[in-house]
Amino acid sequence: MASDPAQATGDFLPSEDREPVNAVGAAKVIQSPPPEQPKSIWTRRYIIFSFWAIVVCFGLPLWIRTTTVYRADLPLRVMQQWADGLTCQFEVPLHVVVEAPGVSPTVAERLAQTLEEYYNEQNLFPIHGLRVTLSDPPQYDDGSQTPGSDRTGLAGASSNTVLTVRLKPSESESTALSRLDPYEAVLDVYYSPQHLETTRTTEPHTRWPFADVIVGEIQKVFAEEQAALAHLFINSGSPVKIDHLDELLYPQRKEKLARRATRSFKYAPVYHLTFSLFTPAATPSAWEIKAALDEYLEPLLRSFTTISNFTIDTQIQLFASFSPSIHGPLYDAESHLWTLQKTDLSGFINAAEWPLSPSIGEGPTINFILYVPGERATPLVIAETGGTSWLIPQWGGVQILNLERESGDRSMLTEADLKQVVFTFADQLTSLLGLPTSPASHALRISSLTRSHTISLILSASSTLGSLARLTQKLPQISIPDTVAKSVDMTIHHLESACNSLKAGEFSRALEHARTAEAEAEKAFFEPSMVGQVYFPDEHKVAVYLPLLGPVAVPLIMAVIKEVRAWRAARRKGG
Amino acid sequence: MLLSSLFLLPAAVLAQTYTEHLHLSPLAQTSHLLAAFNFTSTTPLPAYESGHFTHFPRSLAQILQHTKTRELHLRFAWGRWDDEQWGPRPRMGRREGGTGVEIWAWLDQDHGGDVEERWSGLVNGLSGLFCASLNFIDSTRTTHPVLSFDPEGTHADGVTGQELLHGTLPHEVVCTENLTPFLKLLPCKGKAGISSLLDGHKVFDANWQTMSIDVRPICPAGGNGGGECVLEIQQTVDVVLDVERSMRARGDPIPRPRPIEELECDGGKGYGGGDTCYPKVKEGEMGWSLSRIFGTPVRGSCHLGDGHADADITLEVPLDRMVNVTNAQPLDAGNEQGIRSYRLPNHPPGQYTDLALPQQSVTQAVVQPQPPLYATRTITGSGQQHGGMHAHLRNPHPYAQTITYFESLPWFLRPYIHTLRVRNSETHENVKLEKMFYTPAKDRERGTHLELMFTVSAGGEVELSYDFEKAVLRYTEYPPDANRGFDVAPAVIRVLPNDNNTGDGGRQGSYIRTTSLLLPLPTPDFSMPYNVIILTSTVIALGFGSIFNLLTRRFVLAEEVPASKLALRVKAIVGVAQDVVGRLKGTKAVEMGGDAVGSGKGDGMGNGAG
Repeated sequence: MASDPAQATGDFLPSEDREPVNAVGAAKVIQSPPPEQPKSIWTRRYIIFSFWAIVVCFGLPLWIRTTTVYRADLPLRVMQQWADGLTCQFEVPLHVVVEAPGVSPTVAERLAQTLEEYYNEQNLFPIHGLRVTLSDPPQYDDGSQTPGSDRTGLAGASSNTVLTVRLKPSESESTALSRLDPYEAVLDVYYSPQHLETTRTTEPHTRWPFADVIVGEIQKVFAEEQAALAHLFINSGSPVKIDHLDELLYPQRKEKLARRATRSFKYAPVYHLTFSLFTPAATPSAWEIKAALDEYLEPLLRSFTTISNFTIDTQIQLFASFSPSIHGPLYDAESHLWTLQKTDLSGFINAAEWPLSPSIGEGPTINFILYVPGERATPLVIAETGGTSWLIPQWGGVQILNLERESGDRSMLTEADLKQVVFTFADQLTSLLGLPTSPASHALRISSLTRSHTISLILSASSTLGSLARLTQKLPQISIPDTVAKSVDMTIHHLESACNSLKAGEFSRALEHARTAEAEAEKAFFEPSMVGQVYFPDEHKVAVYLPLLGPVAVPLIMAVIKEVRAWRAARRKGG
Repeated sequence: MLLSSLFLLPAAVLAQTYTEHLHLSPLAQTSHLLAAFNFTSTTPLPAYESGHFTHFPRSLAQILQHTKTRELHLRFAWGRWDDEQWGPRPRMGRREGGTGVEIWAWLDQDHGGDVEERWSGLVNGLSGLFCASLNFIDSTRTTHPVLSFDPEGTHADGVTGQELLHGTLPHEVVCTENLTPFLKLLPCKGKAGISSLLDGHKVFDANWQTMSIDVRPICPAGGNGGGECVLEIQQTVDVVLDVERSMRARGDPIPRPRPIEELECDGGKGYGGGDTCYPKVKEGEMGWSLSRIFGTPVRGSCHLGDGHADADITLEVPLDRMVNVTNAQPLDAGNEQGIRSYRLPNHPPGQYTDLALPQQSVTQAVVQPQPPLYATRTITGSGQQHGGMHAHLRNPHPYAQTITYFESLPWFLRPYIHTLRVRNSETHENVKLEKMFYTPAKDRERGTHLELMFTVSAGGEVELSYDFEKAVLRYTEYPPDANRGFDVAPAVIRVLPNDNNTGDGGRQGSYIRTTSLLLPLPTPDFSMPYNVIILTSTVIALGFGSIFNLLTRRFVLAEEVPASKLALRVKAIVGVAQDVVGRLKGTKAVEMGGDAVGSGKGDGMGNGAG
């Protein structure tokens, strides 16, 4: 400060006015106080400065420290990249093994190369790539023996082989025949020597018809899976670009896939299956469900073990009444049937009274209901179709079992009675789990389901990461505990592993990683301690302490303003 | 009493059975009726473990399996059993709980996972199943009793490797929403059989009622050879109904004076003038019927074809009392104990069964048996800080009885164990404590567990007392109705079996529970924290303001203060306003002449504007 404030004050109020006056004149005559000492002005300034220093250096940090919420560092950029699909380039190599016993190694080698070449040039779906290898020589002997039913895992878990093409000689001279094994991931191709002969005679640039036939069969095998994956990418809003979309997803197939998606459960590592017997009367009060399930359902469940596990429980509920919302069965005098209207099917389950609570523990519950109508209301069918079973999307299946009137003893349902029932339940279960309807081989369907579940889990976990990243950026007040950061790290780690395993063709390991990633991502997103903190906004905190902050802040601020003004006035005068 | 003997019927243990039973017995010398419902079903243990449930409720089974619970006892109770008038408790008190909710269970210790965690899972699961606040049974309300409870089921290697946990919730009000899920667990769901009598309106209108669920494994005696083990679930509902109140018309539940025609007057009074009605004293036993007491007759039957032919309903009235039976098959017209039994008809379903007893004077005197022990418990003392507990036990029998006394106290009630006195109330001599288990409370972590074992001499009276201190709770620990007081769980008294009362006592002995207590705690004014914040803020701000001003202001003589700009401006505005008012006044006075009202108005307006 260059100017002298004392000088300025002195100028403003001339000193000759400060002589003693009488009491009457005091009010009129303006007296000026003595000029202030520079020392006292500086003292005042130091005081104000030190108060402000305490407020800024001590009070403010204390306030911030005691009122901020803890936010762990999240790798927001990486999370967003995952959500945008930039990190993982999906690539699903399909390892096909050609088993050609009795074919010379050079021809077989040539065939394998040609198959891979032909397939990949005709392939509409770039994510799928075919890798054809020749089975090792020692396997020639193994391949010839008929595989037992336990070896359903041939294509999936044990090795990375997706499909085995087995060449078998046949006598007929006509076109090559092929047959898909219903249980194994094996395509049997019957060839006659002339099919192989062609290779030697033809030019390298002309096509080999036998290889074309096999490639056509392989394409048929993977067509539905390609469509399903394309559908998945589109629906999840993934940025993966797919060419030839219209060829892959023609409307009819699209509709079928959409229906499958709405029906099936979200993937879970464990499903709880609950089989319930409901009857409006006191009978039947026993059923041989354990034996029936062990006999008819267990093999199906075993084939799913690479994907999910199942727990089973059963119950009997007597005196079960319909909910009042449905019109109830109507008697059709013409056909002597009791009929249920199609509109009643959705309200058939009496959710208020039937004890169908979900099972305890992780994983969704799939309910299967066997309804045995009372003796008076038998037979009961669906009016429009005459059928007795239907599916409730993402919930379970219902079946009506009409016991024959003559059977007399109604108190017990035998294993024979339940055979057809369990078959229907098994059928409903496969739809509820989203198992594709083609190809005809069960093992291939399972492995196809493994791959689509893996990809859908990766997509879902990635989008959860993206949501979490956006949420963190949008709500600066939300607290982020360390566990969330840890879960996010785990998710990213497992996503990377899943992506790499997928590229390497290790599908069951990829599913395992994707499953963990999804679980961790959900855990991070639904962290309970994050939610509670949202309701402590800054306004609330300030409002509570306003009685303190207001009266303290006003003198502090006013003092500064006054001081600055005085200083400016003095400078103007001095300057 | 009959019920106690029925209770012990292990009978032939069948793999999968369901029985239900209703016992009716009017309580002597009062117009009360005890209705004791029992529903028992068993399921083979292997089937239960593999998840195939027939009559065993799946929802309950899953909770038990998930928490590795071996044996479960759950009680919902409301009301007070009047020992003096009603005699001993039904089922020797083994199927009743303290007021509110009481639960105890044996959980597996091995199988990994913390027992406390699984216990918490158990109470939370049951809380959802029974729509009760069982989830509030946390570690502060959980104790590990040693003497008071023994497992009822057969456990292969005893209870080693299992842990007994006991929790109480005396504050819980048991109501219809607990009965509905209770009935849903039954195979016939209250739609057929004796469970069709259970209606929330009647059960919770009772003077005393208790609902219980007991799950226990039973293995046939003789080890492995005797057949497979079963898991038994027993559900009981015991109610004491006021016959007269239960029989009032359903459509008109409000008690109101009867029309004069319906009054039964005693005309024999000499001093009656004809215009007054002296009510006639009723003679003999009151008439009642099932359908009038429960509002509905028994609908159909719940026989699930498992071959047994036990009685569904038993009636304990003097043998010369008439009983009109509609639609039930009498199995026993009355045995030497005076118990008649009936079986509901199997076919066709949809029939209604009723029992009706007309009003009748009975000469046969009913002998009321004595309860094993009389017990009362009260809180003494006054003031907000200290208090005392006082329990009084009286043995009416001519033989000494050994008892265990179990208390689980909330942590905010801190007993002084050095003041614990157990004395004979006549001789004032100390009673020797045979065993004592005491776990002191830890604030907010654990409640007090006190278990004593001592003998009450023949016909003797024992007083048990100790002092305690009340803790001050934290602001957020008070419930919304803090001024109501805090419930203290009833004491559980177990009369151990001895030579004189093992007749049907078994190894369990009989149980008595005292009433629950209400403990008033000092409660603060709940707006206090905000008041404190505002008051202290104001004081600090005041102090700060004065100090700050003192430090930063310059002090000059009053005359030397320069006139502030704001003051000058205000003065100028006031001057202008006065001018305007003065002028308005002048013109008005000219125009209106001497109109006082008008000028007054103008003045007022002018002042207001200025």
